[in-house]
This record gives sequence, C-alpha cells and structure tokens, in this order.
Amino acid sequence: MILKTFQKETKELLRDGRVRISVIIVLLLLGVAVWISAKQYQNINEQYEAAKIAERAIWDNQGEKNPHSAAHYGTYAFKPKYPLSLVDQGVDKFAGTSIFLEAHKRNEAQFSAAADQTGLARFGDLTPDFILLFIIPLLIILLGYNSFTKEREMGTLTLLKSQGISNWKWLLGKWLALFFPIFCLTALLFLIAGILLGNLNDFGVFNSSSLLMMFVVYVGYYIIFINIVLLISARTKKSGISLVVSLCVWIIACLAAPKAASNIAETKHPYPTRQEFAANVLKDKKEGLDGHNPWSKEAKLLEEEVLKKYGVDSLHQLPFNFDGYRMQKGEEHEAEVYFKHYNYLKNQYTQQADVYQSLAAISPYLPTRFLSMAIAHTDYATHWDFADAAEEYRIATQKFLNDNFAENSEYGNWGYRADASFWKSLPTFDYDPPELGSILSRNTSNLGILGLWLATSFGLLLFTTKTV
Amino acid sequence: MIITNNLTKLYGEQTALDHLNLSVKEGEIYCLLGANGAGKTTTINLLLGFIEPTSGSAFINQLNVQESQRDTKRFLAYIPENLMLYPSLTAVENLDYFSGIAGKTLSTSALKELLQEAGLQPEAFDKRISTFSKGMRQKVGIAIALAKDAKALLLDEPTSGLDPQASNEFGSLLQKLRTKGVATLMATHDLFRAKEVATHIGIMKDGQLKQQFTADDISLSELEKAYLDTVEYKELAL
Repeated sequence: MILKTFQKETKELLRDGRVRISVIIVLLLLGVAVWISAKQYQNINEQYEAAKIAERAIWDNQGEKNPHSAAHYGTYAFKPKYPLSLVDQGVDKFAGTSIFLEAHKRNEAQFSAAADQTGLARFGDLTPDFILLFIIPLLIILLGYNSFTKEREMGTLTLLKSQGISNWKWLLGKWLALFFPIFCLTALLFLIAGILLGNLNDFGVFNSSSLLMMFVVYVGYYIIFINIVLLISARTKKSGISLVVSLCVWIIACLAAPKAASNIAETKHPYPTRQEFAANVLKDKKEGLDGHNPWSKEAKLLEEEVLKKYGVDSLHQLPFNFDGYRMQKGEEHEAEVYFKHYNYLKNQYTQQADVYQSLAAISPYLPTRFLSMAIAHTDYATHWDFADAAEEYRIATQKFLNDNFAENSEYGNWGYRADASFWKSLPTFDYDPPELGSILSRNTSNLGILGLWLATSFGLLLFTTKTV
Repeated sequence: MIITNNLTKLYGEQTALDHLNLSVKEGEIYCLLGANGAGKTTTINLLLGFIEPTSGSAFINQLNVQESQRDTKRFLAYIPENLMLYPSLTAVENLDYFSGIAGKTLSTSALKELLQEAGLQPEAFDKRISTFSKGMRQKVGIAIALAKDAKALLLDEPTSGLDPQASNEFGSLLQKLRTKGVATLMATHDLFRAKEVATHIGIMKDGQLKQQFTADDISLSELEKAYLDTVEYKELAL
C-alpha cells in the first residue's frame, strides 16, 4: 500500500504542469546559484592567495628597519573563503576578509564584500543557501499543500476508505512521494557542490563528513516542512485554505521569526556603537602604560620596578634596551584592554545567539541556519575565532619585534635597525577553523531543537492522520 | 452476507435510521427505494463504518462492522453516486492503485481483463480518467469490485445521471456479479431499474423500512403504486 500510494502520488505530481514548472524553475535557480557561488569562491580564493603571497613578500622585503617601525608598518591576516561557503555564505559578506595587524591597536576585519557593493546589495544575492533555506520549503508547500485536501475535493477519499486503507500506510506513501523529489533535489545540489569542491583548492579544511552533515541538517529541515505541510493538508478541508495556511507558516518561520529574533536580541543585548566602543577602549588604555611615553606615571613605576629587579641604578646598565621592554609592556596592557572589551562584545553576541535559540521553538529555520553556517565556517562564531587567532598572532608578532628591539640594542638607541633577513623569521599566520566535532558540540542546542521539531512534527502528523 | 439488526442512527433529535432490520444473502440484489432523506445513504454509510450507529448493529460476512472495520472492508466494495477517480491517472492505473490498497497485486494484463469484464472498451484502458463519462467511471468502479473479489457490494444511486444505455449496461453488470454470488445492496430512486435487477426490494421512509418485496412477486406497476403510497402518505398527511 505504501509503495502503491508513493507511485500514484509521484505519477500525479509528474503529470501536474504546475509541479513540473516549479521544479524546473528551482533547478534553474539552483544551477545559477551554484555557478555564481563557484565563480565567487574561485575569484576570492585567487585574490586571497595572491594577497597573502604579496603581503608576505612586502613584509619579508622591508630591508633594514627598526622593529618598532615595522610593528607600525604592520601586516595583514587574511581570512580564506572556506569550501562549504560555496553552499552557505553565511555572514561572510558582512564580516570582512582581512585584519590589519599593527602595534598598539586591535583592528576590526575589513574589506567586506558588502562594503564593495552599492545599496542594491540590500536585495541580497542568489546563493545556494537562499534556495536551500527559502525556496525549497516553498517548493514543498507547492508540491504538498493539497496532498490530503485533493482527496476530499475530488471525492476519492470515500472510495479509499471503503477499500480499507490503513491511515498510517497511506500517510507514509504520501510522505515518501513528497520527500523523494525534495531529497533528490537536495542530494543533487550537494553532489554538485562535492564535485566542485573536490576540484578546488580546499585549504585543508574541507572534508566530506562536513558536507554530509550539512546535507543531513537540510534534509532534517525539509522533513519538518514536509510534516507541517502534510499536517495542514490533513487538517484543512479545502486546498486553498491549506495553501494559505502553509504559506503563512513559511512567512512566519522563514521571514518573520528571524527578523523578530534579530530585533529582540538587539534590544535585549545591544552592541555598543563604534564611538562608544572606541571611547571605552581609549579610556582604559589611558589608565595603563603607554609604551611610547617614557614620562608617564606608569612608565616611571615600571622603570623603578625593573631597576630594582636587576639591582642597577640606570636604565643604561640593563642587559637589554628598556625602550623595547617598555614597548612590549605597553602592548601587553593594550592587549588586555582589547581582550576585555572584545570579550564584552563576544558576551553580548553569545546572549544574542541565546535569544535566537530560544526563538527557534517557533521556527525550524533558525536552528537550521545556525547549524548550516557553523558547518560552513561562515558564522559569527568562526569569524570570532579567526579574529581571536589574528589578535593572538598580532600580540605574538609585537613581542617578536619588541624582543628583537630590546635584546639587540641599547637604551635610547632608536637608530637600531634589524637585519634585512630578520623579517623572514617571523612565523606566518596560519588559522585552522574549528573542526566538525567541535562545531557540533558547540551547537548541541541547535541540534536538539531541530531534533525536537522533527519528533514533534512527526508525532502530530501521525496523530492527525488517524482521524482523516 | 449483509445483515442489519435494529440499526438506528440519531442526529440529535433527528432520526435518520430507525431500527432497520434487513438481510442480503449471497447472490441477492436488494434495492432500497425511498425519497431523499429516507435513510438509504445512512444505511450504506453505517455498513461502510463511516458513521457509528446510535444503537443496533451491522454485519458483513458475519463480522460486526463496528468491531472489525478493517476486516469487513476486505469483503466490501462500494460505488457511490458519483464515483470519483484520479483524473490524471489512466483507467488501468486507477484500478491498479485501488486494488493495490485493498491488498491485490495484479498484472497489467489482469487489470485490463477486469476492465474488459466490467464492460469498458479496450481503447479507454490507457486513457486518463479526466476524459471519462460517468458511465465509464462506474465501469471502472465495478472493475475495482471485481479486482477485490468483493463478497458484498454497496451501491448508492449508481445509475443516477446515466443515460439509458449506460444504465442498462450497469444493470447487466450487476446481474453478472450476482451470478458470482455477490450480495448487493443498492440505494436508488430508479423504480424501473430496481424492478429489473433486484431480487428483493424495500421501501424506506423516515428512516424506517416500510415495505419489503421479493421482486418476482410484484409487478412494476404494483411497485410504483406501493412506492407512491408509502412516500406520498406523508404529503397527504401534511
């Protein structure tokens, strides 16, 4: 009975002109979206590779120079585009692709793709994640809204009941007929993504299990939508009403809930403005040691402390250049200030994410979106990871430079020049994004909510169809 | 094969069926006559288990309909007034599906044989139902009953809206099923068709079975008179 119903429903779907047109449109959109994403991915990675090599070459070939001048001259940490961003671009477009690393200052990531576009960018891009998150659920509605109502409207329900149909087998047949084309469509997209990614430079972070996990998450998301659409179709008497109710659910789940979540999260846990943030950082910086100012109270205290520690009367008697030492201590103070303020931002972000997760109870879109971005390494958490790694590298670089200055020159010798070959000994910036295991453990609540949606929607559907 | 014992159905204070007792044995065709609202369709719906009786019981092949809904349907076939099938599927595909959900898996040639036995023209086998007339759909309905090897057939106004030729063909099909031992209960307004195909005839009014005849014992004119007397009695009283 399950197979017969599946075959019958599939034949009906294939012979329905509206369905054929919808599927063709979605396939076309998917094709275009994947092509655009693949092109962008290749372009950005080529730019990344070129910029990384060029920037390192500039750093390596600075010639003889004072290390602190080199510290101010700075360098860049570039964020690569991760393989699965081909499927879900997440916040990449807005998060910036490189961080300028310099002395005394932690900079924000810059050169975001959105900043390079006109106001038209507000309309968004045609990307695979847009198709996966918004369009395929819409296709599910188009394919399934009349799954049960048509039986009532056509009058076939009476004949079916008189044949002694088993409700759950009938439901499973219909469910499979709706699931199968959606599964094939999604599998096709991920297969194409897998083939494309297999032929691109993967930066060592792409693995097929991540792609598979992402596929599983999306399939789970679609199963929830299939269950909801069939549930509505089973409970409503007319196809028109079923369609309208299903579309309302789509609007609430995919459009309204994420925006409402964003507004609520922003209101409950606001980020400081850029001006406030900069003023707070500056205030705290001023309360500590400024490496450039030897006459400040903090500098004098440090001087006394060091002289006492080494048992000497003059900074000239120290076995290192105190200017370099003070610079490093100043950097450490500034790094602490940045750590404190960025931690506050991170805390606000975490609390905002918690608000999002609490609202995931009204929308399966939210946990799916979070999981998808996390697995694709395009969420804010990964961006924070990258920014933190860049900051650690900046701090290490400053120490590397200040130590060279302190150890190879005498106090007051600002004319010291490090050897031209010295710059090459600075290790390169390498960032490894979190692995799948740690991403999943960080997202257990999202996985749990998605699981809860699955279980609840299946339960309700089974319960409802008992009385069709 | 089909038995009702004091079968009663109330909708609030409205009596739709009042202590109905009837029996249709194998190879019998029982026609229920009556005006609209007499309780004919309620009887069929109760036998199908679509609605629950207020009191009394119904049996199909000695199984209580309420207690063994799924089991009784194994022996039942039902053709409503307007048999609706899946318009985008062909006759063969419809028959395949409906017999499939009844647990019968048949080859395409077996399905076509059944359609032919039901009187459908071979050129219509692979045409979509959307192009079918009501008479052709009823034939597919008969084929579904044949495929199911049903022991009891419930028909609700099956010839309503059929042209005389189609109605005549339908009558012949019922006779064919009768020879196979199928017990048929048919609700109808069509006195002529009832007299022609039935072995037994009952006249209902206000949910009660007012009169019963053996078809051979009554002429068409007597049946007509009995029917009008029963049905118009109420109107005269008003």
